Amino acid sequence: MCMQKSTFHIAMRRHVAIAMLTLLLLLTCSAMASEPASSPKRIISLSPATTEILFGLGLGDRIVGVTSFCDHPPEAKRKAKIGGMSNPSLESIVELKPDMVVMTTDGNPREVDDRLRSMSLKTYVWTARTIAELPGGIRDLAAAMGVAQRGETLAKEIEEGIDRFRNRRPGTGSQKKVVYIVWPEPLLVAGPGTAIHDAIALLGLENVAGHAPSSYPRYSIEELIRSSPDVLVIGKGAGMDIRTVSQGILKKLASVPAVKHGKVCYVSDNLYRLAPRVIQGIEELSACVR
Amino acid sequence: MRPIRLVIFSAVVLGILLLALFAGPRMVNPFSLTAMDREILYSIRMPRVVVAMLMGMALGASGAILQGVLRNPLADPYILGISSGASLCAALGMLSGFYFFGNMSVPLTAFIGAVLVSALVGAFGWKRGGLWPERLLLAGIGLNFLFSAVLMLLMSVSSDEGLRRAVLWMFGDLSMADWSLIPSAAVFIVTGMGLVLSRSRALNAMILGDEFAHSLGFAVQRERLILFGAMALMTSASVSLGGTIGFIGLLMPHIVRFLLGADSRLLVPASAVAGGAFLCFADLVGRSLMPPMELPSGTVTAVFGAPYFLYLLRRKDVLSI
Amino acid sequence: MSSVFDGPILEIKDISFNYPGSERIVRDLSCSVHEREIIGLLGANGSGKSTILKIAAGMLRPSRGDVVLWNKPLDSYRNKDRAKLLCYFPQHLDVHVPFTVREIVGMGLYPYDIPPAMTVDDAMDMVGVADKADAFVTNLSGGERRRVFLAMTLIQGAGILLLDEPLANLDIKYQIEFLKLLRKLKEARGLSVVMALHDINLALQFEKVMLIKEGRIQGIGAPESVLTGDALKEAFDADIEVNRSGNGNAYIVHDRF
Repeated sequence: MCMQKSTFHIAMRRHVAIAMLTLLLLLTCSAMASEPASSPKRIISLSPATTEILFGLGLGDRIVGVTSFCDHPPEAKRKAKIGGMSNPSLESIVELKPDMVVMTTDGNPREVDDRLRSMSLKTYVWTARTIAELPGGIRDLAAAMGVAQRGETLAKEIEEGIDRFRNRRPGTGSQKKVVYIVWPEPLLVAGPGTAIHDAIALLGLENVAGHAPSSYPRYSIEELIRSSPDVLVIGKGAGMDIRTVSQGILKKLASVPAVKHGKVCYVSDNLYRLAPRVIQGIEELSACVR
Repeated sequence: MRPIRLVIFSAVVLGILLLALFAGPRMVNPFSLTAMDREILYSIRMPRVVVAMLMGMALGASGAILQGVLRNPLADPYILGISSGASLCAALGMLSGFYFFGNMSVPLTAFIGAVLVSALVGAFGWKRGGLWPERLLLAGIGLNFLFSAVLMLLMSVSSDEGLRRAVLWMFGDLSMADWSLIPSAAVFIVTGMGLVLSRSRALNAMILGDEFAHSLGFAVQRERLILFGAMALMTSASVSLGGTIGFIGLLMPHIVRFLLGADSRLLVPASAVAGGAFLCFADLVGRSLMPPMELPSGTVTAVFGAPYFLYLLRRKDVLSI
Repeated sequence: MSSVFDGPILEIKDISFNYPGSERIVRDLSCSVHEREIIGLLGANGSGKSTILKIAAGMLRPSRGDVVLWNKPLDSYRNKDRAKLLCYFPQHLDVHVPFTVREIVGMGLYPYDIPPAMTVDDAMDMVGVADKADAFVTNLSGGERRRVFLAMTLIQGAGILLLDEPLANLDIKYQIEFLKLLRKLKEARGLSVVMALHDINLALQFEKVMLIKEGRIQGIGAPESVLTGDALKEAFDADIEVNRSGNGNAYIVHDRF
């Protein structure tokens, strides 16, 4: 009888040990699994917008390569350059030994993605195109980069910003007409499918060029005059004093309400990219309209 | 040449001018103009039509002159590299943000580029005291390749925005036609035309060959130099007004020759007028096809011009140069 | 058209010329052309025939010597005035531009500020292309085209025609036609012609010939004295003889093939 008891205990202990070992094993496995297999340490960004977002997620130190157009924030300019958006240098990318390459459907050719993956490099493709999709896109990107928490914070900030401006809208009675001039000569305006257009819609305004056939159409000055915009917004031009360059077009538009009543404002380029800065862009736009 | 043809020709030209002023993208009724209509007509449409006429005239006449001077039916002012040289200079100006002369900055850089290339072509085409047609043609083609290559290089390293603007300019932009640009360009174009018209007989003789031209009492090299210079001046002014718009110089002389005969005294001015009307028409189409978007006039002239150019190449009597 | 002027209307005096960087030269060449003369300029290819004509026409400047037209140096004439006296026809009449016959003949008016006596219609009649007045010159045969240009020179009123191988590639019928026309114009209007050729048999039919070899004149005068068998053998470096029959006909002979 004593003998039976001790055997049982031994057997019991063995089972418990095995059970505990298994449990331990499972725990470590799941722990390893929940730490994302991609918590990349060497990230290359193939678009200025994604660069800004990555910096916004606090991943600036992990970025090892950017395009030559990535100029925001200033630290981005000091990173190694791998070429342009439509023609990045595959060689430069590979030399930097990235463990993640972030690109976008809006500006990077699909072939680049295919080539990188055929070379066994990990890629992440950003697909969000509108301001409404921005928070969700940030959350997804953050998760893929292993910083889901920070992604959540940033996304929430943006959502709050959006709501703030949405609730400030004027009543539906007065739908002011806005045109956002991207470049005065030749006249290029912001059409549908741009962050600018989203911002205008968000503020409850009407984008005069909202039904144009392309995103940044070369617009007819005549048509602009006929559409009588109430507000004229002129975006910052690269490398030139936009006020001087705009003199010509403002003279031609002298008869539209916006120019007659002095509702012409010069804003920065915050709305040119789908990045966290769009909130400031919306704010500028809102200040302009009031 | 039957007079009736001249009458029809003039009527068509006039019709196109009126259409360009009053039609598309929206009709403006000349008999009941609102204040907005008047404004659009005066500050937008009229300068546009005037610029189109001036540019088209310069290019049409230049084409007729070159086809005679070079004795080549496929000659056109741009074959000599003037367009790529002007585009290069204009692109450099645009991409570097040069704006010293306000809205005349880009036109000025284009003009300088065009004149420089013309001078270069002339220099390479010069030998033993004269300009030689074969040398001019070859020099022009060579320089054209060179400047196009440099331009492509420039475009491949520039930002997307700068690139887009340069390309849009090269395709021809009449949308910013402004009364301020017109006088200086008009002076060059009218002077050039006057110079050429006074030398039409020499041009006719030169088409027969240098020997006949000499035999008929012309100082061949001097006439060739004057005609080339006038052509370069007009083309440069045209490029400065609204970018590089192709095919007009190539096409118009052939059409006019077919309708009204080969005599340069009529061919040159008629090609000029036809060129002006054609560009007005192309501009009208460009701004009326997909409103409110505007298609560059250069693409419209190419869409009409390129098929005809290919058709020309197929005709045996044209190829036997 | 009678004239008091007895001397040569065109004189070439001791001309020397060479194309830059080329072997071809003309050296110490002198000759003269009188009124109502048709002269055949005979020589092998490259002997300098074209060069001499171009120098006479004022298109090339000799490095030495003078060309004298109506007793005045050629380069002292204004271009237009010279054009009214002297005409040059190149060898190749390639025109690819659709000028009408009338337009081409009308170009003969260019040297004039006040229109000359002869009208375009008269000129076309004289050479026999009046029925083709509105045809395109590009559609005409070689012979017809030459006549059109001849009409042009008639309007120009030039008394001297310098023709560079005008009969090359023409069928014999058109050669004879053209020569007859020249003779008619010589008699009716006192035209003088210097015509480069290298068809020896044709040259033998001329009244006056000039034999050229390597830029030098071997002889000027009637074919009987200038175009002897020996002279031709030398000038053309070929084994040829001249057969002269009793009635004045002459032709060259060589081996049969």
